[in-house]
Amino acid sequence: MEIRVRCGCGDSSCPEWAVVELQGAVQPQASFSGDIRGLHIGRLCSAPSPSSSKGGYTFTVGYHELAGTKVTLKKPLLVLRKKKLTGGAADQETPTAAEVELEVIGVIRHKILFKDRPKALISKPPTKEKAAVQPAAN
Amino acid sequence: MDAEMEDAETRAEIEWDGGGGGADAVLALAAGGASVSLCYHQAFGPHDDLVLLEAADDLLPDLLQGRVTIRGRPDEEAVLCTPSATYSMKFVGTSNSVFLIPPGEPSAPCLRPDNTSGDANAADAVAAAIKLAPGNIELVRTAPRLDKLRSLLRERPYILDEDLGDGFQHKKGLYTWQDLCKLIQASDGELLDGLNTLSAVEIDGFWRTVDATSMNTILDMILHNSVLHDWPLNAVPENDVLSVMESDGFAHKIVTHCLNRFGTKVEQEGRSFWSLDEKCVCLQFARRVLGAGKMKLANFMDKWERSVPSGMRVDLQMLEGEVLCDKLGAETWVHAFSVADLPLTPAERFAALFRERLKWEWKDLQLYIRDLRVPGVSSEGLLIKYTRRTQPSSEAEPIFTAR
Repeated sequence: MEIRVRCGCGDSSCPEWAVVELQGAVQPQASFSGDIRGLHIGRLCSAPSPSSSKGGYTFTVGYHELAGTKVTLKKPLLVLRKKKLTGGAADQETPTAAEVELEVIGVIRHKILFKDRPKALISKPPTKEKAAVQPAAN
Repeated sequence: MDAEMEDAETRAEIEWDGGGGGADAVLALAAGGASVSLCYHQAFGPHDDLVLLEAADDLLPDLLQGRVTIRGRPDEEAVLCTPSATYSMKFVGTSNSVFLIPPGEPSAPCLRPDNTSGDANAADAVAAAIKLAPGNIELVRTAPRLDKLRSLLRERPYILDEDLGDGFQHKKGLYTWQDLCKLIQASDGELLDGLNTLSAVEIDGFWRTVDATSMNTILDMILHNSVLHDWPLNAVPENDVLSVMESDGFAHKIVTHCLNRFGTKVEQEGRSFWSLDEKCVCLQFARRVLGAGKMKLANFMDKWERSVPSGMRVDLQMLEGEVLCDKLGAETWVHAFSVADLPLTPAERFAALFRERLKWEWKDLQLYIRDLRVPGVSSEGLLIKYTRRTQPSSEAEPIFTAR
């Protein structure tokens, strides 16, 4: 079988996606019972004091602050979306691959990477924010 | 994955139009203390239909211009094919949280956990993550998987005067180009090379190999007619040979295929001629002589020499990679052992070679492995992996045995 990889956007105008990557997992408080859609995660800032030559970034999640950098990917990542083609094959019991194609919908060339553990913002007086970052123990 | 997220997965995913992420706001974040509020997209979810594919810059033009396909049957590992190359696809997972932020205007403001928005950050631009990427697919250049092509095309070779059955009802064992693209894990370019190596020809839309006996018959007729009409074997006039052969009942296509296999076309003074290649023709006759099994070398050479067209000279060197000679007592015996019949993957090739002979000398072995191409592995590397090399003394020829 053969699955075609298509691209509607052409060479130059493929929309660029952004990526924020951090170690471990961001865990919303249990009170949201899994419905986290639309929920605020954190605040992403380009570092106010660019002491290093490369512009740094901070990501503030609840009481925690992460420091990171923008990384240019050695090899770009393409965002592919699987599309089921609707053709008169609805009566078939299992969809065959001939009805599937992949569409390139975006390209990722950079990511903002936070590879360090978070720093606690102890100087800040407690607020009512409930989201907290809990890094995985690796 | 968190329990909460698993809950989210079980819920029906919200229809997502592909945008609403505000990626530009994140990408444009530069020095100067600007900030962006990152939130979960209104349609945040597992979105298993989204896949990340890592592609080196040289692959991007093919991918972005729709010249790439993924090939393989459900029981095979999928490969990605550009017009000229084949890549294996490997999923590489990550334990990091990779937030994917699509482009487009964010559709809704961020929902603060405490339901307040009276914050200094309220005026921030908003970016929304649509999913957490569990990893991405990496591509590694790989050899095309052409073994299957050979076995498919051998199911039903073309035979002269064949009867395909009523109205092509019986297409079993016949394959069109489209069929082969679906069945063979190779790029178009490599597939075409593979078909050429097998001396396949497209007849009535199906790619076929030509049965050896039929090929011999056609070659004999061409040679016979050359004698009859006084055509030199290095300049057989194309128009004449085609029309004579046609009147004998041979189709243009198959005669041209045969001429192509045993010769090269040359243009002279506006006319086309075919120059038959001595080595190709002699090789075909050697195969015919050896078809019955092994022979004493002297016996074989005598028979072979007498079988070839007059004017052509036989030489044992023409049979490199086609026959093996064995010394049994005082006699040397020869038998057919063609590299073209051996498997194409290194492991199977070496296994087949060591089934034929337990020990190989380099001069023989190299003829049977020089066509193996594995991206990223040298032939030296293949020898180390699949053979054991012994050298009784520093002057002696090295001997290769199975590992």
